[in-house]
Amino acid sequence: MFSTQFFRRGLPAILLALVALPAAAQSFRVQCPTHTKLHPLINGKPNPGIKCQQISGGDGFATMADGTQIYLFAFGPLSGLANMAQGLPGTVTAAEFNKSNLDATHANFDGSDGNLDSDGVLDAVKVGAPDPSGYKFNGAIGLVPNPEPARDSTGSPICPLGHSSGGGCLDGHVDPRLIMDVGVLNGNIPAPLIAIDEGDELFLTLTNVGQIMRPDLFEQHTVHFHGYPNASAFYDGVPDASVAINIGGSFTYYYLAPDAGTYMWHCHISPPEHLQMGMVGQIYVRPKQNSIVVGNDLRSALQTANQSSSTGGTGATCSDLLCTGQTPLPANNATANATGKKYAYNDGDGSTEYDVEYPIQMHGFDPNFHFVGMTFNPESFADNKDKYFLLNGRSYPDTINPDALTTQQSDGVTRTTQPMRSLIKIPAGGKALLRFSDLNVTEYHTLASLGMPMHVIGYNARLLRDLDGNNMYYDTNSITLAGGESVDVILDASKPEYAGCTTSAPCTYYLYTPQLDHLSNDAENFGGMMTEIIVGPSI
Amino acid sequence: MRHTNSLIGRLFYGAAITGGSLLAVGIQAAVPGITAASGVFNLNAEAGYISQPDGASVYSWGYGCSAGSAAPAFAPSAIAGGSCGTMQLPGPTLIVTQGQTVSVTLTNNLPAAAGNTSLLFPGFTVTAAPGPCSSSASAGVLTTEAPHGCAVTYTFVADVPGTHAYYSGTRGNLQVELGLFGALIVMPTLDAGGLPTGYSAPTNAAATCVAVGSKPARAADDVDFRHAAAAYNNPAACYDREYLFQLSEMDPAIHRQAEEQAGVDCNSPSGCMNVETEPYKAAYFLVNGRSMPDDMDPNYAAQYPHQPYNGNPHMHPGELTLVRVIGQGRMQHPLHEHANHLRLLARDGNLLLSETSGSNNLAGPLLFTTTTTPGQTLDGIFQWTGKGLNWDVHGHTSNNPSGGLEGNGGAPCDADANGYYTAKPDAPNYYEWCADHKHALEDKPFGSVGSGGPVTLPDPNIVANGAWYSGSPYLGPDANLRSVGATPIPPFGTIANDPGSEAGFAYMWHSHNEREITTNNIFPGGMMMMMLVDPWVFSIDEAK
Repeated sequence: MFSTQFFRRGLPAILLALVALPAAAQSFRVQCPTHTKLHPLINGKPNPGIKCQQISGGDGFATMADGTQIYLFAFGPLSGLANMAQGLPGTVTAAEFNKSNLDATHANFDGSDGNLDSDGVLDAVKVGAPDPSGYKFNGAIGLVPNPEPARDSTGSPICPLGHSSGGGCLDGHVDPRLIMDVGVLNGNIPAPLIAIDEGDELFLTLTNVGQIMRPDLFEQHTVHFHGYPNASAFYDGVPDASVAINIGGSFTYYYLAPDAGTYMWHCHISPPEHLQMGMVGQIYVRPKQNSIVVGNDLRSALQTANQSSSTGGTGATCSDLLCTGQTPLPANNATANATGKKYAYNDGDGSTEYDVEYPIQMHGFDPNFHFVGMTFNPESFADNKDKYFLLNGRSYPDTINPDALTTQQSDGVTRTTQPMRSLIKIPAGGKALLRFSDLNVTEYHTLASLGMPMHVIGYNARLLRDLDGNNMYYDTNSITLAGGESVDVILDASKPEYAGCTTSAPCTYYLYTPQLDHLSNDAENFGGMMTEIIVGPSI
Repeated sequence: MRHTNSLIGRLFYGAAITGGSLLAVGIQAAVPGITAASGVFNLNAEAGYISQPDGASVYSWGYGCSAGSAAPAFAPSAIAGGSCGTMQLPGPTLIVTQGQTVSVTLTNNLPAAAGNTSLLFPGFTVTAAPGPCSSSASAGVLTTEAPHGCAVTYTFVADVPGTHAYYSGTRGNLQVELGLFGALIVMPTLDAGGLPTGYSAPTNAAATCVAVGSKPARAADDVDFRHAAAAYNNPAACYDREYLFQLSEMDPAIHRQAEEQAGVDCNSPSGCMNVETEPYKAAYFLVNGRSMPDDMDPNYAAQYPHQPYNGNPHMHPGELTLVRVIGQGRMQHPLHEHANHLRLLARDGNLLLSETSGSNNLAGPLLFTTTTTPGQTLDGIFQWTGKGLNWDVHGHTSNNPSGGLEGNGGAPCDADANGYYTAKPDAPNYYEWCADHKHALEDKPFGSVGSGGPVTLPDPNIVANGAWYSGSPYLGPDANLRSVGATPIPPFGTIANDPGSEAGFAYMWHSHNEREITTNNIFPGGMMMMMLVDPWVFSIDEAK
């Protein structure tokens, strides 16, 4: 029966597919359609509801606060580089992603316009990109016109991503040389930040550039969307349950954005090794509530949204036990959407409003394991003992450095390695949302706030609210997270006790770990998991 | 040290890393244990050896069924082949009903050098009575202890429903480490019809509470393996399947020292062992006493005579799955449930309800990582539906050449009040999320699945297939066969998740202290298991 079905249905399908194979035969590729059925073109322009990002899977070195250059297995940015260098999410719209790496006049190859090297490639797409200052390019690294595009029956090239300004046909074809120029040794810690809005379609392309420091390895990589509700096994990134991406290959993960919240992503190949070595990052989803017209009633908007997520019900109560895709309506009365405010969740009562947000990835590194990981020795897991305790890949005092950190790599080129900041700045009278995600692989982390209570509103990417609509928020001076957990916290500087914190006289508070042995940078006994909160500065 | 199980262990480990050819022996799980209408249990504490997939045979202490007593009754009855030897790890899962008077007689058959032992039932008011040779019974610190060769009977009323732990109350740093722990499941008092008080079936949606024995057989040979309709007397605590995961760890150095000193002559209540339990360095991380991949072998498998329970959850889309977790041992373990959030029902048998006066609604958080501290239990409800993916996991398409048949292109999806297809209980796409019905995943046409979707699947040559990868992104053998094409080439060698019969969605449930998914420094192993969401056409036979 099996073989009959295969020949009846499968064989013609294979033959059909072979015809279309040239378009997809390249190993490195990016995918970022300008439109989909869900997000059609808008006046002929790419739909901004489609978000794209390309990341490298490879290796690199980062700088620890004691000056040690530590070896990483790491993801690095291969799109959104200008944003990443500013510490922002690397996620961009299709319009921004699908930019040719060749200039309009690339055919001349003469650099006469001052914007080109002799090979016609944008100056931005070079070994060591992004350079630390003034870097502007956010497009997909490697994307160039396909010299041999697929053609329709009339012989016209099929260019799903349109034409580059030079007239070439963009279809996701990339120049592998450019990928390797930028991607090799460009690992970041934490991994590139991903941020999307509810309703977005995310196309995340993982490009495995190999680990140049470990030529003995042939490590595959994957992306696990940690915490995604109703995940599909295919895009879950578990190599045992799906596919893993070989060196030299690209794979595009596809998800419709899940419910708002703070999630994580990481490689799922040999997790005790790849996570300890640094392949961990954060992904967060902003709620639909952000787009409600100012002055409109949050509660009724939430009820409407709840209704549209199923075919029945009133929108006031959940349609299933897990309240999938919904938020219970708040027990309290309605509040209007306020000007200039953002919200962490679809709360319906304005209780998760904030002015500034800080994604903070908690992690630890065991330098002995990383040394073994750089060399060719067998690894021990039972002996794992972290000695660096990181907030966004940094320990104190690097945590209060307002700039991206760079590290000279083994090829002599200095690259941006820890672009995400961990200094918390809250404008006078404002509220900060701290999105904590922990991907430590050896132990639990506790982080305490000295002088400013933490208002916990979300846990594991879900609003803390019972099924009767009561908010279960609480104030605390410390949070404890296991690897694989996230928590959302609001620091509220609008309270009267912070009235004296102004631009001219800012106040400084601290986030630090009361696990006192974690206030160290390996042998240095002052440092570790600690940073400052500054209330008052203009942002 | 004995190595009787080392060959088997190595074989199974080899199977795991070479594609899992032995992993698909069967799918068995549920919450197996022992029951007694009288509420009387006779347990034994004794030394033995457990097997680990690195080939190690580890000296341990465990509870078992006393040799001289009547054979216990095994539950659920749908699982045949139950066994309860004189020592097992974890100890026998005791399944009782709320309000029942439970009487557990513990006989100390540990080596004399171990000294006294005892049983704690946290959360219950226990009275203890010394058994034979009572003259030497010891009051102990936490409870009455049984000296070597003697017994103590612990009696309590099981007044708190839910999942509970029991473990040794004597020198826990050694005795619990060596394996003296187990689970107590208290089934709640329900209404006369076997359903929770206040439950009323929803209109135009699937029933969420079904009494034991009247579960509709959607797949022809689907059997009911539940102990009860609900974990608590609350309509939100109903479930269709249940699984118990006891998380623990072992430091082999402690076990080795205990083994070396087991033969020491001793006549002291505190024992005569001088075992260093600090500094502590765990190297084995166990689910129900087994490491991956052993934990996915059947319950009561012959190759693990002292580790009868497995960890191998399966479920169908839409089914409510009760997850019971106990932190045994001394470390915290964050269990990460891939595929969805879990709604926390209760901790330590205490249902978490809304603060609203008189409300019976849940207040437990939604968690994608359930962290368990030593001695703590949790109950949670898990469900997977595939809602919100924006593509049809069944690969339904409107122009399927073999259309018209259910499961193929012509399958209907008429949304119920919650948006799912539940109108026809025996449909292969039962509980499909109808908003995504016939939404294609793939851009370019191939096979008999839809095209015009958002993505182009990769060249199969640049990816490596996993042992549980069915060969396509789709759920079920029908969609899998219809998606045959060059992208991707289905890995028809996959055995752990047969593309032609099961073709489930596989997810990893594991400790997210990732170093704990190792077996004595070997990856993969440890505290890890694969959870499968199986299509409705595939019968989940937990008893085979």
